[in-house]
Amino acid sequence: MTEETFSDEILMRFADGELDPETVARIEQAMEIDDGLVTRVAMFIETRAQAQAALKPLLDEPVPENLVAAVEQMIEARPAGEKAASVLRFSGGRIAAPPSRSHWRLPIAASLAAAVVGALTGYWAAGTNERRQGGLWVAGVIRPALAQALETVESGKEIRLAGISDRFRAIATFRNNSQDLCREFEVDSQDRSTVVSVACRSGDEWRVSFAVVAPGDAGGYAPASSTEALDAYLSAIEAGAPMSAEEEVQALTEVRQKDRK
Amino acid sequence: MPEKTDRVQDQLVAFLPNLRRFAIALCRSRDIADDLVQRACERALANEQRFEQGTRFDAWMFKILRNLWIDDIRRRKVAGPQDDVDERHDIAGISGEREMEARLALNSVAQAIGELAGDQRDVLLLVCVEELSYKEAAEVLAVPIGTVMSRLARARKNLAEATGISMAPTRSAVTKGASK
Repeated sequence: MTEETFSDEILMRFADGELDPETVARIEQAMEIDDGLVTRVAMFIETRAQAQAALKPLLDEPVPENLVAAVEQMIEARPAGEKAASVLRFSGGRIAAPPSRSHWRLPIAASLAAAVVGALTGYWAAGTNERRQGGLWVAGVIRPALAQALETVESGKEIRLAGISDRFRAIATFRNNSQDLCREFEVDSQDRSTVVSVACRSGDEWRVSFAVVAPGDAGGYAPASSTEALDAYLSAIEAGAPMSAEEEVQALTEVRQKDRK
Repeated sequence: MPEKTDRVQDQLVAFLPNLRRFAIALCRSRDIADDLVQRACERALANEQRFEQGTRFDAWMFKILRNLWIDDIRRRKVAGPQDDVDERHDIAGISGEREMEARLALNSVAQAIGELAGDQRDVLLLVCVEELSYKEAAEVLAVPIGTVMSRLARARKNLAEATGISMAPTRSAVTKGASK
């Protein structure tokens, strides 16, 4: 008699009801004569039950009133408000504008709108007079120092941009709904402001598709209000989940190889 | 009063306890979890039109919340160790993940779940606790279903070890095409 061996994953699928009926039957049969198999299956059944039981109390915990109130308020505030004015979209047009029902509380929207204007004048105006803190991109197209950083710096790392003293921090790499490679990053300029930005590959160049300036004294760190705008933007382009370190290395290598051609 | 609809806003409040539980298990702090939940709700409402009718609302919400959380972690990793000012910096009341001790103090199993590697913990939460299918979990985590299975199997073996469930010796995947 040959005893069939089952992998842990197969037994787990059996325990979770994620297996085809034929294999289920084979395992059931094997379990009749193999106690070891029964123990292994039991482990998967028990861990599931245990995990569920362990976290059950959290479900019974009352949700804090202010949280419920905040969410209810968001829902109530829905039909009001027009236009997500605070999210800046550069040219490109491939990003379909989402129905613009803003849920943002007004003060935040207003302050962000101001910040975005700052981004435009600060960076675009600098285009005529590059160097210095500006000149990183003009009309959405990125300058070489920044492009190089986008293609080499791993998420979680920071560098100083060549030729300028701005600090560049890579935050994440992901794909948008058109499967273009995108990077979320932050740049601290000398005036202590931080630009929170997203750039995506468009053909053979990087284009800035989102940018918002966070106020100066954040200690090299974008405050929450600017990340809210970013969150909204990322949803709008249906940003995929951030890539793992390995996926990122591979994607960036591909970009660099394309550049060389 | 119309009957129960599929609109996001109608489901959101009722779903808060689940969403909050998931958030607490992810970030191990109630304060941070509440902030995450609120932001996830905001994002969900803003993107209501992207919710596909007929798909699982809970899976959709978990995905939104987890992506926000990942983004927060990366942000903190980046901003964390640069200099002393950044050390102390605190975004929206969030401090570094490592500093967040497991303040849950629930029970040993919850503790053990909290100590799993993040990848393993997430898939365990989604499948075993929130009862998503492998396929749904793969969708939430944006990984192949094979990855869900291998992480989940590892998570459960580690959990069993940590909590002392008896285990038979492991057998490697010899069944043809069984493992992935």
